[in-house]
Amino acid sequence: MKKKIAGLMLLVVLMAVIGGIYFVTGNAPQIVNVDGYVGGEKIELLEDEEIRSVFEEKYGLNVDYSRAGSLDMMTADLSGRDYLFPSSSIALEYYEDLHGSPVQSEIVLNTPIVLYTHQIVLDAFENQGLITTDGDVHYIDMAGLLELIQNGTQWSDIGLSKLYGRVSVDTTDPSRSNSGNMFAALVANVLNGGQTLTEADLDTILPELQDIFGKLGYMETSSSDLFSQFLRMGVGAEPLIAGYESQLIEYAALYPDEYDRIRDDVVMLYPTPTVWSAHVMIALDENGQILLNAMQDEEIQDIAWKKHGFRTGNYGDIADSGTIPADGVAASITQVAQVPSYDVMKVIIEQLE
Amino acid sequence: MKKRIISFLICCCTMLTVSACGVMPETGGGGESADFSAGRGGTEIRILSGSENQELEEIIGDCADEAGVRVEIDYKGSVDIMRTLQKGAEEYDAVWPASSIWISMGDEQHLVKHSESISITPVVFGIRQSLARELGFTGGDVSVKEILDAISSGKMTFCMTSATQSNSGASAYIGFLYALLGKQDGLTEADLQDKQLQEEIRTLLGGVDRSSGSSDWLKDMFLEGDYDAMVNYECLIIDANEQLTAEGKEPLQVVYPYDGLSIADSPLGYVDHGDDGKEEAFLTFQETLLGSESQQAIEATGRRITANGVSEENREVFNPDWGIDTERILSPIQMPGADVLLEALNLYQTNFKKPSLNIYCLDFSGSMSGEGISQLKDAMSQILIQENAEKNLLQANEGEVDIAILFDDRITDVLYAEDDSDEALRDLYDQIAEHEPGGGTDIYGPAAEAYKIASQYDLSQYTPAVILMTDGQSMNNQYEFEDAVSGYGADIPVFSITFGDADPSQLEELAEMTGGRVFDGTQDLTEAFRNVKGYN
Repeated sequence: MKKKIAGLMLLVVLMAVIGGIYFVTGNAPQIVNVDGYVGGEKIELLEDEEIRSVFEEKYGLNVDYSRAGSLDMMTADLSGRDYLFPSSSIALEYYEDLHGSPVQSEIVLNTPIVLYTHQIVLDAFENQGLITTDGDVHYIDMAGLLELIQNGTQWSDIGLSKLYGRVSVDTTDPSRSNSGNMFAALVANVLNGGQTLTEADLDTILPELQDIFGKLGYMETSSSDLFSQFLRMGVGAEPLIAGYESQLIEYAALYPDEYDRIRDDVVMLYPTPTVWSAHVMIALDENGQILLNAMQDEEIQDIAWKKHGFRTGNYGDIADSGTIPADGVAASITQVAQVPSYDVMKVIIEQLE
Repeated sequence: MKKRIISFLICCCTMLTVSACGVMPETGGGGESADFSAGRGGTEIRILSGSENQELEEIIGDCADEAGVRVEIDYKGSVDIMRTLQKGAEEYDAVWPASSIWISMGDEQHLVKHSESISITPVVFGIRQSLARELGFTGGDVSVKEILDAISSGKMTFCMTSATQSNSGASAYIGFLYALLGKQDGLTEADLQDKQLQEEIRTLLGGVDRSSGSSDWLKDMFLEGDYDAMVNYECLIIDANEQLTAEGKEPLQVVYPYDGLSIADSPLGYVDHGDDGKEEAFLTFQETLLGSESQQAIEATGRRITANGVSEENREVFNPDWGIDTERILSPIQMPGADVLLEALNLYQTNFKKPSLNIYCLDFSGSMSGEGISQLKDAMSQILIQENAEKNLLQANEGEVDIAILFDDRITDVLYAEDDSDEALRDLYDQIAEHEPGGGTDIYGPAAEAYKIASQYDLSQYTPAVILMTDGQSMNNQYEFEDAVSGYGADIPVFSITFGDADPSQLEELAEMTGGRVFDGTQDLTEAFRNVKGYN
C-alpha cells in the first residue's frame, strides 16, 4: 500500500516537472479533440492522412467521428459532440427545427446525385432510348426511367433475362440517410413534370412517390455501404443504385488498382435533371467552429476534390478534366433542379417512413 | 537534448501508470474464455461472428499473427448479433455477421465503422444428387416454388437453420414467403396476415425435419443425419461435399433458385467504444484479411471474393459436377423493410414454425445450492416468461409443449405447462422456482424419462428436444438411457448444458448418440439456455 502511495506521489512530481518544462519551453502542442456525426460517404475524407495532418498542423485538431445517416444524426444523442456533418441543407433545416440555430453552419462540399449501374444495364437502357451520351459522359432520362418502374417492367422485358425482378433503383432509406432523401426529392421533381415540387402539388405526387418507394423493400441506412455493396456484389444483386458523384471519383483516386478491375463494367449516369447534395458542416460549439474553418481551407478543399471527388468552391466547373481519375465525369453540372423546400421534404420523409 | 529528457520522463510516467494499473482489479471481459482465439499480439480484439466463419479459423489465425494482434471470437447467429448490437455490444470490438442487413438493423447506437465485406457466398439449396436429378432440379432454371412443391408433397425432406437466429434461415424463409405469395418484391405486413399464405408456410415449415441455431452446425448435423436436402451457404455445401466424397458418399447438388436467392456478404465492422488502440489493431487485422494472400486462401474454402467468377487457382474448389456455377449472375431476392422483416420473424417464431416439444431435465442436486440454483431459475425465467423471451425472439410457438423434469440422483418431480399460453408457461416457471436442491446426480434416469414422455406424442407434428442441464458428474447409469433410446427409437436430440464441474465427456456421448449438442453454461447459464432454445 505504502509503495502505491509512494508511486503515485512520484507520478505527481514527475508530471509537475514535465508540466514545468512544457511551460518554460512554451511549445506545448495544443491538440483539440473534436467529435461528431458524419455521413458515411465522407469518412474516407476524414480518415485521409493528408487532410488529418492539415487539421493537426494548421488548426490543432484531432477529428474523431461516429457514422450516422444525415437525418438520423439530428435525432441522435448530441451530448459531447462538437459538430454534425450531414449531406444536405434539408438536414440543417431539420436540425434547426429540432434544436434551434446552431453555433455556425456552412456548406463546405458539394456533389450531385447520380445513378450507378453496370455495362449490360447501360446497353439495355440505351436500347430503350433512355441514354444521351456526350463523350464518355452518360445522361439518363429520369422521366423515362420512372415510367419503366411505374409500369412494373421486368429486367427481362428490356432484354436482361439473367436479372431477376423488376426495374428499380436501390437507394438508402430516405427517412434516415441523405442520398436516399435527395433521390426522393429528385423523383418528386420528375414526377412533377421536372418542376420543383411545391406544397400545392404535394398531394397529387405523394401516392406515386409512395408507390415507387414502397416497392424497394429493405433500404440501407448508409450511402457508403450501399456503394460498396454495389461494387462488391455484382450486377445481379445491385443492377442500379442512387449515390453521389464523389463516390466513384474517390474510389478511383484511392484504389486505382481495384478501380481498374471494374472500370469496364461500372457506369455513372447523370440523371436529367439531377439535384445537388450540399454537405453542410454544423458547428455545435467553438471546437466545431474551428473544424468548420478548417474545412474551408483551400488546401483541404483541393484535396477534397482531387482525392475524394467533392466539387467545392461555387459549384465550380472542372477546369482541367484530364486529371480526374474516374471515367465519365461531367465537366460541369448544368441540368439541376432545386430540391423542394424543407416543409415539402418533411412531409415526404414522414410519408415514406 | 530537451526533447530527449522529456521523452525519458514521459516514459517513466507511462511505466508508473501501467504498473499502478496492474495493481487494480481486472476490469472488462479479459478473463472470459472465447470460442476461438488466435495471435499473440499486444492488443486484443474481441469479435462476435457468425458460425459460418469457423471454417476460416486457420486463416484468421495467420492474419492475427501477421497483424500482431490477438483475436478472440465468439460465435452467434446473425440475428443474435443484430440484437447484441442493439444493446451496445459492450463486450465486443467488432462484429462479423453473415450479411450487412444485420449490422444496419442492429446499429441503432451508431457504433459500427470500417465495415468491409470479407467474402461473399449465396444461400442455396443442397439436394442429394440422385434425388435432385430425379426431381429435375439439375438443369435449367429452378424456382423456389418447384422446390417447395417437392417438399410439400413429401418427395423431399429438408433442414434449415432457425429464421430467428441465423441469416441463412431468415433469408430462406423470406424467399419462401415471396415464392408462396407469387410476389417479387414489396412484402408487406398485410401479406403476412394472408390466411392462405399462413396455411402454406405452416405446411412447408412442418416439413422441416430438424432446425438448428447456426449454419455451421446445420452442416455437421446434416452430415451425421439422414436428410435429403438443406438450405445453407454455397461455401458450406462445398465443405459438406468435400467430406461426403471423402467418405465415398453421394454429394449434394447445389441448386440456385432464380427467384429466392440471397447473398451473404460477410461484413466485418469495428464497434467503436472509444479505444483508439483497438481501432488501429482492428484496421491492421482487417487489412490483412483483405490482402490478396488471405483472400486467395479464403476463396480456397469455397467463398467467393468477387461477384465475377473465381480465380484460376481455386477453380477446382467450385466443382461444376456439384452444380456449382460461378458464371451465373446471382440475383438475390429483395429483403423487406426492417419493420416487415421483424414482424415476419416474430410470426415465424410464434406461429409458423413447427411447434416445439421441449422437455427440460434440470439438475436440482445438492451441489447446485446457492449461486447455481439462482442462475438456473433466472435462466428458466428468461425462457418461460414470455415478455423476457420475446426480447430474444424465443417466444413459445403455437401448440408448443413444455415439460420440466427435476432431478438429483432420482427424478423428484415432473412438471407440465398446461398449454402454450403465457400464463401456463409462467405457472410452470413458478413451480420450478419453488423447488430447492439436494441429493446426488443421475442424468440418465431423467433423460430416459424424457424419451418415455416424448413417445406419448405424435412426434411428426413437433420438433422435439431434450434440454438437459447439469453441474455434476453423473452416476454411471448410461444403460438406462440406452435402453430408452432403443426402446422408443425416436430421433430426439439431447442438448446438454454444462455448469460447474459437469463432465462434458458424458454429455458429449449423449449428444453423439442422439444428434444433439453440448453447450457451455459455465460462463453464462442464461445465455446457454437461450442458445439451446435457438435450436428448437
